Amino acid sequence: MSKRPTYEPHESPSLTPEVRVDLPREASEQERLHLDRPAFRDWLELRVGWYGFVRKNLDEPMPPGVGWWQTLGNLLLTLLMFQFVTGIALAMFYSASPETAHASVKHITFNVTLGSFVRGLHVWGSTLIVVVMVMHTLRVFFWGSYKKPRELTWVVGVLIFQVILGFSFTGYLLPWDQKAYWATVVGTRIAATVPFVGDSLLLLVRGGPEVGALTLTRFYAAHVMLLPAALMGLVAIHLYLVRRHHIAGPVLPQRGRPVPFYPNQLFKDAVVLLVGVGMLIYMAIGFPPALEGIADPTGTDFSPRPEWYFLGLYELLKIMPAGYEMLATVVIPGLISIGMLFLPWLDRSDSRHPARRQWIITSGMAVILLIGLMTLKGILETPPPHEVPGEKEEVVAAK
Amino acid sequence: MSEHEPLLDPIDPQRRKVMGAIVGVINLGLIGAIVGPVVGFAASPMKSKMKETWVELMDEHLIAPGEIKEVNFSMRVVDGYHEVERKYTVFLCRTEEGVLCLDPACTHLGCRVEYQSDRRRFICPCHGGVFDEEGRVKSGPPPKPMDRHPVKIEGGKIWISREV
Repeated sequence: MSKRPTYEPHESPSLTPEVRVDLPREASEQERLHLDRPAFRDWLELRVGWYGFVRKNLDEPMPPGVGWWQTLGNLLLTLLMFQFVTGIALAMFYSASPETAHASVKHITFNVTLGSFVRGLHVWGSTLIVVVMVMHTLRVFFWGSYKKPRELTWVVGVLIFQVILGFSFTGYLLPWDQKAYWATVVGTRIAATVPFVGDSLLLLVRGGPEVGALTLTRFYAAHVMLLPAALMGLVAIHLYLVRRHHIAGPVLPQRGRPVPFYPNQLFKDAVVLLVGVGMLIYMAIGFPPALEGIADPTGTDFSPRPEWYFLGLYELLKIMPAGYEMLATVVIPGLISIGMLFLPWLDRSDSRHPARRQWIITSGMAVILLIGLMTLKGILETPPPHEVPGEKEEVVAAK
Repeated sequence: MSEHEPLLDPIDPQRRKVMGAIVGVINLGLIGAIVGPVVGFAASPMKSKMKETWVELMDEHLIAPGEIKEVNFSMRVVDGYHEVERKYTVFLCRTEEGVLCLDPACTHLGCRVEYQSDRRRFICPCHGGVFDEEGRVKSGPPPKPMDRHPVKIEGGKIWISREV
């Protein structure tokens, strides 16, 4: 006879009893767990501690003042899941070679049942994710939520930000159309501007001297293997840390006691998910994803432009004088990334209040303004096809 | 867990330390065993070398002095796992020195420049680089003149050499 395992109920956080999740009574729970044919949730409870898991997540304490702004993380996670699922579906029809990539994306878009919709969800999802990710980051920045003990939650968040930009960059090439090809020719050339190792780095990124078959397989491997693995690990750590330290309340603590995540905050989350995903579906149907002509290194009917969220960098490159492009490709983005990563240690003030973090708020606003204005300039100056910028001034730089 | 017996203390703290160190070394070896080959494999294109190939473009008499001609041609190149016919473009320009062959990639970030005959300038549509007819930078961000490919004339034909 095997010894019957004892059941130790999990402690739930100290919350008001009237809002607790409706779970079975303690006395009968023990018996139910060991019935010959237990209910599935009781069967699961004995093996994985199901009730504790549910309780922990639904009873997550929300400080007073937490509301709509705190729904963005959940929306971001949901949109990432949409990308994951639609990405798997697209990979079933996609073929990563210069001979077949464009044809396979064309097939997905025009022949496969719901192909345009699924690709639309993936394409528009990537844009929406960048928007929501920026809003989420700005919220945490202005609320000063990255301060002790949440420094590492912020750092992991910044890494997630960079991985998502990596997804955008690698995914952009996959349709192998004119837009994809030329954006990648230019984007990868940025690697060559790194001092000393630039040329080797360019070969590493492209998989050869020119954008070709190995660039495509390389970007595909990164897009569907390397980056998803990195993202899953980072998101798991991020969520663990968010749960461990709970949500930081408003900048100035408000009166009242924390309330559980369920039902108030979960309801707000659900409303935001409904709106966010609704918007995504609307865009996927209303604005089907485009596909330019197949990549042609000799074609002149195309002005290479990156995706809108890289336009700030693109414009910055325009205004850099000859010989200083490294400032726009390496130094400024590098400093912004390092500044973001080390933000919790750059901002030494004790207070989370923006008025008491003047220099960090001012620097942050300056960076946001710079990126915003450059992006806006890029969007407004989108030249129609064939139109090229004029000669500005005659500066003879050639020897 | 209440069912667990109390843990036995290690027999000898020194032994525990030595065994911990060995496990550490084994783990390092395991990491090296996976990271080393994979990095070497993935980074192998860094060793790739370009080789010069001559290609015949056109009859010499087809280009007049002062004229700029955009010439499309294709070459068989090895692209990773297969050999393909790849299309290229160059600009040929006959000057007093002879025939020049300019590569259309802007020296800033590699966009393809366009020749505007009315202004007699090469213009880069990306970041506004402007080059003159011999590929010298006239304005904008390009750090150096347009790349030139070696040219030779044999039997009345223009040949250029391109690294592929």
